Amino acid sequence: MSEFTDVENNTELQFKFCWVTALRAEATPLIDAFNMKIVENKSLFPIYANEEKGHALVISGMGSIKSAAAATFLKNHLKINDHSAWINFGIAGFFKGPIGDIYQANKVVSKESGAAFFPGLRLSKLIPAAILFTVSKPENGYKEKVLYDMEAAGFCEMAPSFSCNELTYVIKIVSDTPSASSSLITKHLVRELIEKQLSKISDILAEIEILVEEEKKRLSIPNEVIEFEKRFKFTETNKYKFREIYRKWKVAFPSKRLDLSEFLNSQPKEIILRLEKEVLLNVEDWNAL
Amino acid sequence: MIETIFFEEEIYEHPTTERIRRALPRAGWVPIDRYQELFNKRHQNFKLQKKNPALILAKKYDNFVLPVPSGFGMDSHKNFYFSHMYNCLYDCKYCFLQGMYSSANFVLFVNYEDFFRSISEKIKKYKGQSLTFFSGYDCDSLAFDKLSGFANQALNFFNGLSNVELELRTKSIAIGSLLQREPLSNCVAAFSLSPAQVAKSLDSKAPSINRRISAIKQLADAGWKIGLRFDPLIYTSDWKELYSALFADIMNGLDPERIHSISYGPLRFPKKMYKKAASLHPEHKLFAFPMEETNGVVSYGTKIETQMHDFLKSELNNYISENKIFQCTI
Repeated sequence: MSEFTDVENNTELQFKFCWVTALRAEATPLIDAFNMKIVENKSLFPIYANEEKGHALVISGMGSIKSAAAATFLKNHLKINDHSAWINFGIAGFFKGPIGDIYQANKVVSKESGAAFFPGLRLSKLIPAAILFTVSKPENGYKEKVLYDMEAAGFCEMAPSFSCNELTYVIKIVSDTPSASSSLITKHLVRELIEKQLSKISDILAEIEILVEEEKKRLSIPNEVIEFEKRFKFTETNKYKFREIYRKWKVAFPSKRLDLSEFLNSQPKEIILRLEKEVLLNVEDWNAL
Repeated sequence: MIETIFFEEEIYEHPTTERIRRALPRAGWVPIDRYQELFNKRHQNFKLQKKNPALILAKKYDNFVLPVPSGFGMDSHKNFYFSHMYNCLYDCKYCFLQGMYSSANFVLFVNYEDFFRSISEKIKKYKGQSLTFFSGYDCDSLAFDKLSGFANQALNFFNGLSNVELELRTKSIAIGSLLQREPLSNCVAAFSLSPAQVAKSLDSKAPSINRRISAIKQLADAGWKIGLRFDPLIYTSDWKELYSALFADIMNGLDPERIHSISYGPLRFPKKMYKKAASLHPEHKLFAFPMEETNGVVSYGTKIETQMHDFLKSELNNYISENKIFQCTI
C-alpha cells in the first residue's frame, strides 16, 4: 500500500478520469504521465491513482469479462463519483495502417453476443472515429474495416451505469495491421506508440473534463444541505422535499445562506415549510429569466 | 453541424438517405440494425448528448398517424398528429422531449411515403369529415427541413386535398420550402412564440422572436395561412406587459385575415417529466418556481393559469375574432 489517502474512510475523493486498461504495458505510460501511485496491489486488479490530478486506473487483464469486472472493482474500491469519466484505453488491431494512429470507437460490437454499444460523445475535432469489434481470440485476418480488441464490449456493458453513456469512452491506438503483425508487438513498442500520443490524449482529456465538471456541478449536493442533513433527522421523503425546496430557494435567493443557527430548535418539517413560504412570498417578483 | 450519422442498413439506398449523404459528405456514417439500439437507452444523458447530437436515419414501421390527445385545442375536427422526426435542433428548457427521451440524438424516419400512405388511409376512413394533421409534435416541423426535405414532400401530398388541413408547427425560420411555391389553402404555418426576453432565456438555439415574427410576415405576405401558438405561457412578474408587447409586435403590419388560428396553453408537465427536466436544469429559474401538483400534473396552479387565460383571451380579442382563438389544456 502506498501513502495514498485512506480510501475506505474518504468519501471526498474526486476522480475525474477512470482508466481501464487490459495490459500493464498499456497502463505504464499513463501511470507515468499522470504520476499515479499504486493503491491496491493485493487483488486480481491492480489500481493506481493520483488523487490530486483526478486520475485512477485499473489493470484488468485480457478479455471482456475481466474488463467489466475490473471497472466495477475500481468503482467500488475508490468509491468513484457518478460524474466521473470512464475510459477504456489500449492497443487494437486495425484493417489498415499506420500503426500508432489513435481512434475513438463510436460503435463497439461484441462478436460473441452480437450486442452493440455506442459509447461517448463524438470528439470529432480531436480524434477520428472507427467501429470496433471485441473478439474473444486475437484477430489476425482483419477482414472487416474495423478496429479489433478483446475488452471494450465488456467495459461498455458496465461503465455507463457508473456515470452515463456520454462519459464512457473507448480510445484505442493501432498496434497491428495486415502489414504489421501482432506478433511484433512488444512492451517497448506499446509504450512507444502510447507515448507518441500523450499530447493528443491530454487534448482529449481537456474536452472530457468540461463534461465531467458540468455533471459534477449538476449532481453536487451543496455543503449547506449536507450540514442540515447531518444535524437533523430527515425521513427519506422529507430529505427529498428538503433538497427540492432548498434548490428552489437557492435559485430564488442566490446570495442568501441557510444558517443552521436559525433552525436549532426546528423540526425537519418546519425547515421545509419555512423555505416553501419564502419561495412563495417571492412569486410576486418572479423573474423567469 | 452533424458529424456522425447512424443509419439503418435497410434504408441506405432510400432517396432521403441519399439526399442527406449528398448534403453531409464529411460526416461519419455508421451502420446500425435498428435505431432503438442507441436511441433512448438506459444511462444516456440528454443534457450532455445535446452538446453534440448525432443523426439517426431510420425506417418507421407502424403508428405513423395518431389521434391528438384531448385538450389539444382547435375546434371539433378530427385531429391527428404525426412525427417524421424525434427530437429537435433547439434546446428549449420547457420542452417535454427532454423529459420523454433520455437521448438527444435526432431520429429521422426517411420513409415519408409511408406517412403519406397512412394519412391517405385516415382520409379514406373519415371521408367527408374535416380532418387536421399536425406535424411537429415530437420535433420541429421545419428546423431540419433543409436537410430532410420533408416539408416540400408533405406540401406536394396535401396540395389539393379538400377538407383536409396540414399544420406545420415550428420555431424555425427555414421557410424556403414554403416561399418557393404558391401557398396551399389547406396548410397552416404555425409558429410557437414567447415574449422576446423569455425566449432568449428559455428557447436555446432557436431563432430569436424578431426573426420568427419576420418569417411570419414573409409567409403571410406570400399568402400563407398563419397559426400563432403561445404555448407554453411563461409566468413572470411582468408577464402582462411582455405578452401585450409581443402581440403588438406580431400584429404590427400583419393582415389579421391571414391568421388561421391562435392557441395558447399553460406550462404543464406530467410529474415524472417535470422531475427529469428539473434535474437537467436544477439551476434554472423555470424549475425553481413553486409549482403546484394536481393529479400527477405539475403547473403554475389554477389561480395563475386563470389570470393568464383571461388576460390572453381578452388581449387577443383586440386583434382577432374570438372564434379563431383556442385554449390548449394539455
